[in-house]
Amino acid sequence: MRKLILAPIMATAVMASAAAPAQDTVKIGLIQPLTGSVAYNGTADANGARLAVKERNAAGGVLGKQVELIIEDGQCSPANSVNAAEKLIQRDRVVALVGAFCSSATSAVMPVARKYKTPFLTGVSSEASLTEKGNPYFFRSAETDALLGKAFSRLIVDNLGLKKVAYIGVNDDWGRGSAKAFEQELSGHGVETAMIEYFNHGATDFYTLLTKLRGSGADGVFVAAETQDGSTLVKQIKQFGIDMDVFGVGSWATSDFIKITGDAAEGIYAAVPYVSNLPGERNERFVKDYSAAYDHAPGKYAAAGYNSLNIMMDAIDRAGGTDASAIVDGLHATDYEAPNGRYRFTRDGQGYGFDAALVQIRDGHTDVVATTRIADPRADGAKDGQ
Amino acid sequence: MKFERNTLLVLGLIALAFPLLVGNQYLLHIGIMVLLYAVLATSLNLIVGYVGEFSLGHTAFLGLGAYTAALLSLRLGLPAWATIPLAGVVSALFGVVIGAITLRLRGPYFVIITLAFAEVLRLIANNWVDFTNGPMGLSGVAQPALLADASPLMAKRFYFYLALGLTAVSLYLAYRFVYSNNGRAAVTVRENRFVAQSVGIRPFVYAMRAFVLGAFLAGLAGGFYAHYITFVGANVFGFAFMVSMIIMVLIGGKGTLIGPLLGALLVTLLTEYLRELQELRLSLFGLIVMAVVLFLPNGLMGFLNHRRERNPSDAADGAARAQGGPA
Amino acid sequence: MDMLLQFVANGLVSGAFYALSALGLTLIFGLMRVVNFAHGELYMLGGVMGWLATTVLGLNFFAGLALTLAVMGACGWLVDRFLIERVRDQGEEPSILLTIGLSIFLTNTALLLVGTAPLTIEGPLPNKPVFLGPVVLTELRVFAVAACAVLILAAHLVIRHTRLGRAMRATFQDPMAARLAGINTARVYASTFALGTMLAASAGMLLGSIYSTHVSAGGLVSLKAFVVVILGGMGSFAGAIVGGLILGVAEALWGGYISTGTVDIIGFIIVILTLIFKPYGLFSTQVERA
Repeated sequence: MRKLILAPIMATAVMASAAAPAQDTVKIGLIQPLTGSVAYNGTADANGARLAVKERNAAGGVLGKQVELIIEDGQCSPANSVNAAEKLIQRDRVVALVGAFCSSATSAVMPVARKYKTPFLTGVSSEASLTEKGNPYFFRSAETDALLGKAFSRLIVDNLGLKKVAYIGVNDDWGRGSAKAFEQELSGHGVETAMIEYFNHGATDFYTLLTKLRGSGADGVFVAAETQDGSTLVKQIKQFGIDMDVFGVGSWATSDFIKITGDAAEGIYAAVPYVSNLPGERNERFVKDYSAAYDHAPGKYAAAGYNSLNIMMDAIDRAGGTDASAIVDGLHATDYEAPNGRYRFTRDGQGYGFDAALVQIRDGHTDVVATTRIADPRADGAKDGQ
Repeated sequence: MKFERNTLLVLGLIALAFPLLVGNQYLLHIGIMVLLYAVLATSLNLIVGYVGEFSLGHTAFLGLGAYTAALLSLRLGLPAWATIPLAGVVSALFGVVIGAITLRLRGPYFVIITLAFAEVLRLIANNWVDFTNGPMGLSGVAQPALLADASPLMAKRFYFYLALGLTAVSLYLAYRFVYSNNGRAAVTVRENRFVAQSVGIRPFVYAMRAFVLGAFLAGLAGGFYAHYITFVGANVFGFAFMVSMIIMVLIGGKGTLIGPLLGALLVTLLTEYLRELQELRLSLFGLIVMAVVLFLPNGLMGFLNHRRERNPSDAADGAARAQGGPA
Repeated sequence: MDMLLQFVANGLVSGAFYALSALGLTLIFGLMRVVNFAHGELYMLGGVMGWLATTVLGLNFFAGLALTLAVMGACGWLVDRFLIERVRDQGEEPSILLTIGLSIFLTNTALLLVGTAPLTIEGPLPNKPVFLGPVVLTELRVFAVAACAVLILAAHLVIRHTRLGRAMRATFQDPMAARLAGINTARVYASTFALGTMLAASAGMLLGSIYSTHVSAGGLVSLKAFVVVILGGMGSFAGAIVGGLILGVAEALWGGYISTGTVDIIGFIIVILTLIFKPYGLFSTQVERA
């Protein structure tokens, strides 16, 4: 009886001591949802991250050592992501953490990173308040909903000439945040709001929502949804015979999205921080390498994973060692040439300076209509905490 | 009874020494999660093991506890020693209401109605943005003030002993319940409702007491979860937690006090150590769950008790073994 | 008014789909008393198989459906003979835990094999809008509703008017007497589970052609199917149809007039109310109460 209970504890202790640091590599931990309903996007992010590490190692690694990327499944659940973070920091002794994807999971990992003084970078989580918590170890190389809304509202008004817009978002922090941010920005440009509605992740039938949309008198509809929900929604908008300009945020400008959505994708607009046919030699190289590795062009989340790992590896190189505060300084000094522009960080750790694109899907391809830069949020005298 | 009590004491002593012997914070973290799940599994076991009804809505009480503690801490600034007991009380109050409705049903109907309650609460938590902050969740739940200057290791030890205290309270209450007239009446109801009624036991009353006690303990666990993880979102009401709890109770052996503890220990360690297998992890976990149902139908405790019965040297203890019978 | 008509039409269509996706569950739940938590995963596998058959093997929709049904029927048979069989007559707990284990295994194994991307199945008809006065439908939707009706009718005929159906009903009323009467009850159980699996899989493929499918689609389907089965009463096909339609219309009206973000709540509220006031389903004549 007692033996039976002790055995796993012993095994645990033995395994833990066996994993004690033998630092001939630089270890970076990545937490992504690899199972569950967001696994599709989490896998894309992890693929981008793997490519970044492979390239860096081929070029000699960082600090003269090879980089070892340890990927853990956080399932976008706060508790599981904390488990993964504890394991990565305490058992694998990673020098830095990247990830957690969903803002809720990232939010739960942040205090862990702070407690263990481990630099933590997210390339995805968009909940605005994350960078306002005064956590010195936390950085975000992604746009917040508000920054994206601000960057695109002018473009959308100019390019689409909309007067009255309906807003539809997936019922999570990101969908709600995006719908609110775009509604606020577009209202600021004199665009009327026809309706704001949310739907649950995994919903399949949108006819009720579309009936409301048809009755709302909008001339354009904004959609915040990921590939799965978004493609179903866009298909049903076309089936329903609704003839409105559709524009959205999410991983829309990808070959998968176009393949799944088919003809219904024609003519829709997407506001994305990354699309594979952005101009520039740096992006061409990334797309070529990514396609060679995974047989399809990278989308928003693949680029996010690629960029966040590169930013972290640059910072470790710049730190000249694996000391946490040196890496934090290294992150603050970031000036990273990404496939989609140059990343820098504010004092709060919010990324800016990179490009985002308004694309239209035409003939099964993405056309870049315009690009814009995610501006330094301090430029208009807004918050500058800490 | 003696065997069960002695084993519990030994387990308790091992647990008391554990944080002092182990300096690895990851192991301590796993230890804390094991204890959190031990409280949850013990509370669920009161319903599954002693009322004999299969609740799939027990996360309702975990979630209510977690949200209560998080809201009291964030909105009113109450300290953890107040929020965690209050979390238990609020869950118990909901337990009275939900139990009064659901315990009138039996079998699959009970399974589904409890699940429906948990889902309704999850959807409310996810959509009532003004009160629960909706899908954005409640972040930054304060840790106890005395940890302000503590090192991470000390904080981990503190949380470990706090969780151990909660586990001890849960086991004590469960033990008192099981070995009281209440518990014996509940077991009689579980084994044969009609006989129980004929000797004057009112099944509903006893089932209700077990249900409310279970809700209270799950609420305590929820309160602890809120302060330890520091983030509470609607997923605390979700089916994933429910699946973990139910697997722990049934793998350990329902209707015994030690079974759920063993289940919590095994399943938590298993899910953490299967991480080594990366993608294969959850497929394998599913297979293990199926294998346990097929080869250990009464859980680990059922298996151990069976072994002890066949082993004559333990026969004296075996006579007083916990009442884990087939459903 | 036009809006109301459209809401009701939407509700009826999605209600028919709910009914279809719950049929397999009501059969297994109602007749075998197995609360099958892997139901949604069987539905998901139907969609994935359908995608493999039509996209990878290049079959047309109906040949793909036939292949899917054959493969999934065999799977259902095997699941019953090797898994469910061994926990038969042990109450509901072992079978719940067993099917939960099975669902975890199936979801994650499917994820390993076909990946996480959404999968589309080429439907047999185009998704062009059809206008009935103010109401919009699509050809594929009309077809799917018709297909639901055909499948429901076919399953009903199998149970009411075939030897197998009679053996099934006899076995579930009194297994001992059925065995004494020379019925191979093990085979009847396995056939029932196989039939339930085929119904779930056909729903998965049909609806996969209208929406799209992915490996983690199962959980939500299971939940909705439970709602439908509780509303309609277990084991009743007519009940499943009515339960599905009630759920579909209630969701459409709630989404239409209250909010689409909270639409999932209405099904569970109806379930709770039903179980409080009519504990054995809306259409059950059973009066036994604890």
